[in-house]
Amino acid sequence: MSSVPLAAYLMLALILFCIGLFGALTKRNAVIVLISIELMLNAVNINLVAFAKYSINPGLTGQIFSLFTITVAAAEAAVGLAILIALYRNRQTVNVDEMDTMKR
Amino acid sequence: MLQNSWLIPLFPLLSFVLLLFFRKSKSEGTAWIGVSLTGLSLILSIGVWIAVWQGEGIKVEGTWFEIGERAITMGYEVNPLNALMLVIVSLVSFLVHLYSKGYMHGDERFPVFFAYLGLFSFAMLGLVLSPNLLQLYMFWELVGLGSFLLIGFYYFKPEAKAAAKKAFVMTRIGDVGLFIGMVLLFWQVGSFEYDEIFASVRNGDISSGMLTLTALCIFVGAIGKSGQLPLHTWLPDAMEGPTPVSALIHAATMVAAGVYLVAAMYPLFQASETALTVVAVVGGVTAIFAASIGLMQKDIKRVLAYSTVSQLGYMMLALGASGYVAGIFHLTTHAFFKALLFLAAGSVIHAVHTQNIEEMGGLWKKLRLTAPLFLIGALAISGVPLLSGFFSKDEILASTYADGRYGLFWLAVVAAFMTAFYMFRLFFLVFTGKPRGDQSGVHESPSVMTLPMIVLGVLAIVAGYLNTAWFGTFLTDYLAGGPVELAYGDHHGPSWIPIVATAASLLGIGLAYLIYQKGALSRDWITRSLPGLSNVIYNKWYVDEGYYATFVKGTKGLSKLGVLFDKYVVDGMVAAVVSGVQGLSKLGSRLQNGQVQSYGTFAIFGIVILLLIVALTGGYFT
Amino acid sequence: MNTWLLSILILSPLLGILVLIFTPSQDEKSIKWIGILGTLFPLGTALVTLSAFNASGEGLQLAEKFQWVSYEVFQSNGDVSYPIFYEVGVNGLSMVLILLTTVVSVLAAIASFSIKKDWKSYFILFFLLEMGMIGVFAAQNLFLFFIFFEITLIPMFFLIGRWGYLEKEKAAYSFLIYNGVGSAILLIAFVAMFMKTGTMNFEQLAYTFSLPQSELNEMNITRNFKMGMLIALLVAFAVKLPVAPLHSWMVRVHVQAPPPIVMLHSGILLKIGAYGLIVFGAGLFPDQFNSLAFIIGWFGVINLLYGAFLALTQRDLKRVLAYSSVSHMGIVLIGLAALNEAGMTGAVFQVVSHGLISALLFFLVGVLYDRAGSSQLKDFGGVAKRMPIFAGVLLAGGLASLGLPGMSGFISEFMAFLGLFETMPVLAAVGALGLILTAIYVLRAVLAITFGAEKELSNAHDLSSTERIPAFILLAAILFIGIYPAWLSDMLRPTLDSILLGLGG
Repeated sequence: MSSVPLAAYLMLALILFCIGLFGALTKRNAVIVLISIELMLNAVNINLVAFAKYSINPGLTGQIFSLFTITVAAAEAAVGLAILIALYRNRQTVNVDEMDTMKR
Repeated sequence: MLQNSWLIPLFPLLSFVLLLFFRKSKSEGTAWIGVSLTGLSLILSIGVWIAVWQGEGIKVEGTWFEIGERAITMGYEVNPLNALMLVIVSLVSFLVHLYSKGYMHGDERFPVFFAYLGLFSFAMLGLVLSPNLLQLYMFWELVGLGSFLLIGFYYFKPEAKAAAKKAFVMTRIGDVGLFIGMVLLFWQVGSFEYDEIFASVRNGDISSGMLTLTALCIFVGAIGKSGQLPLHTWLPDAMEGPTPVSALIHAATMVAAGVYLVAAMYPLFQASETALTVVAVVGGVTAIFAASIGLMQKDIKRVLAYSTVSQLGYMMLALGASGYVAGIFHLTTHAFFKALLFLAAGSVIHAVHTQNIEEMGGLWKKLRLTAPLFLIGALAISGVPLLSGFFSKDEILASTYADGRYGLFWLAVVAAFMTAFYMFRLFFLVFTGKPRGDQSGVHESPSVMTLPMIVLGVLAIVAGYLNTAWFGTFLTDYLAGGPVELAYGDHHGPSWIPIVATAASLLGIGLAYLIYQKGALSRDWITRSLPGLSNVIYNKWYVDEGYYATFVKGTKGLSKLGVLFDKYVVDGMVAAVVSGVQGLSKLGSRLQNGQVQSYGTFAIFGIVILLLIVALTGGYFT
Repeated sequence: MNTWLLSILILSPLLGILVLIFTPSQDEKSIKWIGILGTLFPLGTALVTLSAFNASGEGLQLAEKFQWVSYEVFQSNGDVSYPIFYEVGVNGLSMVLILLTTVVSVLAAIASFSIKKDWKSYFILFFLLEMGMIGVFAAQNLFLFFIFFEITLIPMFFLIGRWGYLEKEKAAYSFLIYNGVGSAILLIAFVAMFMKTGTMNFEQLAYTFSLPQSELNEMNITRNFKMGMLIALLVAFAVKLPVAPLHSWMVRVHVQAPPPIVMLHSGILLKIGAYGLIVFGAGLFPDQFNSLAFIIGWFGVINLLYGAFLALTQRDLKRVLAYSSVSHMGIVLIGLAALNEAGMTGAVFQVVSHGLISALLFFLVGVLYDRAGSSQLKDFGGVAKRMPIFAGVLLAGGLASLGLPGMSGFISEFMAFLGLFETMPVLAAVGALGLILTAIYVLRAVLAITFGAEKELSNAHDLSSTERIPAFILLAAILFIGIYPAWLSDMLRPTLDSILLGLGG
């Protein structure tokens, strides 16, 4: 039916996840960190869909679960951005390095 | 009588306790408590002495406590030697109590002084009655305490404080020697008892090296207490105490305890030729050394103090030269005439309120009773014939000669000459010539003070007849009843010895007369001709300074070193550990930087490492 | 009655805490009185215990034993259950120390009249401390011993840190860290012994370790293990004793803690170290202790001389006394190292005697602080004039400390040295130098305060009648032991004999 193997999907997801991880760990700007987290979530979605399609008994569970993930990701982005805006109003910055109140 | 002899020391103890309760009393009648209780001791002592004279003796002991199988005992013993000591101690103590009633008049701690006197008398009498070394050691230390308290009686004077401390510490050095000797003997013999020690010595149970070692250790104790070289420096300083104290403790009784100790342990010393030689040499050298210092002192009490050191040296010399009887004989006569001299000196000080002989002079007319009594004492100590000192000193010289110690013999003769010289220098400067200070208020002392002096004066004359070649050797016969086997009872060596001794003392008196009375020889004749030597002598051979520069400085230096060690090495180690731990925790806290991203990074790396391990080990950790 | 006596004794200080909880914290006077009465109750119980105690009896008396905790270990050959018991009991040694604890506690409570703040929490901690101290001496297994040992640490930490002088916090931490390390080592050693033998009871442990080596090999107990255990225990208790160079915490505590607490600390807590050395060191591993005796003797002499040398030039009376404690603890080691009856008795006498003497001297330091707000030697002089009784008691305490015959210090020094002279005469002769140094530093400090020209003190009244009670009681006890030592030595003999039997001496 399709000539694209499972490994290719997983590879894509892996690359996407690593880019997201790298961004989340290294970027200073909180907005970009949030976007990177979205990337990682999407990598997971790809995995879910790919496994759902290619498993021994294919079904829709993976796709449905990825829909949940997208929903949660949207909510998370909204909450995250809201916190970010609140922080920005207080501190005039979106730089992650300056958000070290946990240490103080 | 003898069964009650344990009461003898308890009377003064009772006096001590009672007087402590009355210590705030303003009444000087409190003195009578001390006087009467020591009087009881005296009566009892004389009774005991008479009983012993008749050949009796007693030894009572009970277990004090037990160490394993060995019982440590306490008790009391009366033998000829300590019965004699009992009489001397309680007599002098009684007389000094009486004298102090007058001398300490007006002192605001009057009862306390008598309390201390009682404590001292208790300790000294207890020491004498001890049947074993341990008990002797305990009272030995208590005697030191009594001496310490009395030297420091004027506690507000810095000199008294220093002197008291010095006396305690210097004698303590000797005490440690005694302690070591005693303990070593205990492990050799298995007992502290004199009898058992002597029995082991006789049976040859102790190796000769050990014998010498223990005898010398015990002698170190005697050196400390009797102010022998090199531990003599505390005794002259002890003159900071009130004068009756000097008479009681630092002339007649406590300082004689060292001599008594050697005499009491005499069989041990007899068993070791080396020990005897050491005793003789230390005694002889001390005798002349202290006499030489006495030549130039200006403080009346210090002259007497150095004279005491010198006379104690004589006694040691006698004991070391197998003159057991001679040593004890001199101890007895010395107790009387030296106590007399001190009390007379106290009477002088009481009258003129100074101790500097340069500020006295011409007191013969003012002190009609004190002056002749002082003269008796001075004649006795100088060894003028027919007085007590002559007989005992003669016997010492004879026994030294008979023992073949000719060097020490001539040393002793020179010391006798010096003794006569400085005693009469003192006498002429104080009592004759023109008054050199303000003597307006000078008057003779009250009768409570003169009465004891008169008693002592009589004794200073007659005590010598206890043991003479002419009337009989009572003392020798008496002491022969004791535990010591007298090597040879009769020491009357060549008949020229008394003549030499008499000549030496008369020469000394004559010289003093020429210089200080007649003025035939200039007073600074010697000082000018031998400036270096006389300077050294005047400064007491710089012994104190030498000790200060070596031992005191050394100890202090070590102590400072210890403080530095404690501060930098011990605390430094701790500081090093602390800073190590702190550094480690700093490193840890640097990881904890509050950045979520770095935490994430660490977590990821951690997972990666774990996954790698899992992958490489094929899924199992083991 | 007698079956519960010891537990009542251990728990008796808690009664004071119970009463104190219901006392308003501002009521200074009644709190202080409750403090004193609360310590009298344990003293009374201790005296009852003493009367129930048979002084000549062998072994453990008034013992109690209940199962407390039990846990099971799964092993291939079936489950093995390890019960932990609540075991208490007294022998002559611990009876004497318990008595000392309760006596000194009463006197420290009286001395606590000088405490200026937070009386309620002070006395609650004080009672807790007393309970811990009694418990340490009564405990008969490792578990209980360790618990009580730790119970003493915590109240002590707060008592130093809250009621001490200027650098109290530092001293408190110093105390906690040193002792924490010590008890960590102790815990490891205890756990290791428990693992190997499966018992915590002292007597069973001693029995197990005394088995022939062939049987021990089956239990995996090698000679090296025993030696290691002994060294670990020695180190742990050396911190407590303290042995130089582990002494700096103790000096700090002595200087910074409030005087009543130092009375307890110097009087009792240091003695736990000595007690541990005797019971665990010599009691459990006699052969190994024997082979280490020479080293212990050297440490003893070093302690004695080191403490004495350092005490010589200190400018603060409290520091002089602190280093004198170091020095005197050296005598305990000397006595133990002698490995004979005389030395062992001397060591225990020194424990008791130093407990009394240092309690007395620190009590007097408290009085000095009360009068002048200082304990620097240079601030005093000629105190004997205005405060003759104080000066007399201080001098008597000092003389007791330097070992004057007739006082307890002499007996202990004498016997410890007597013991050591039998086994190591040269070492003992070196140590005897310490006797001279002791005389020098004690007299220097005491005379600097009482003799000499008078210096003005802000408030120079003599000992008040409440202050005289502890001073005279302690002095009387010191004299009593000094004059009649048989009372103590008879009580100790059965215990020490059994320990010596193990040592083969």
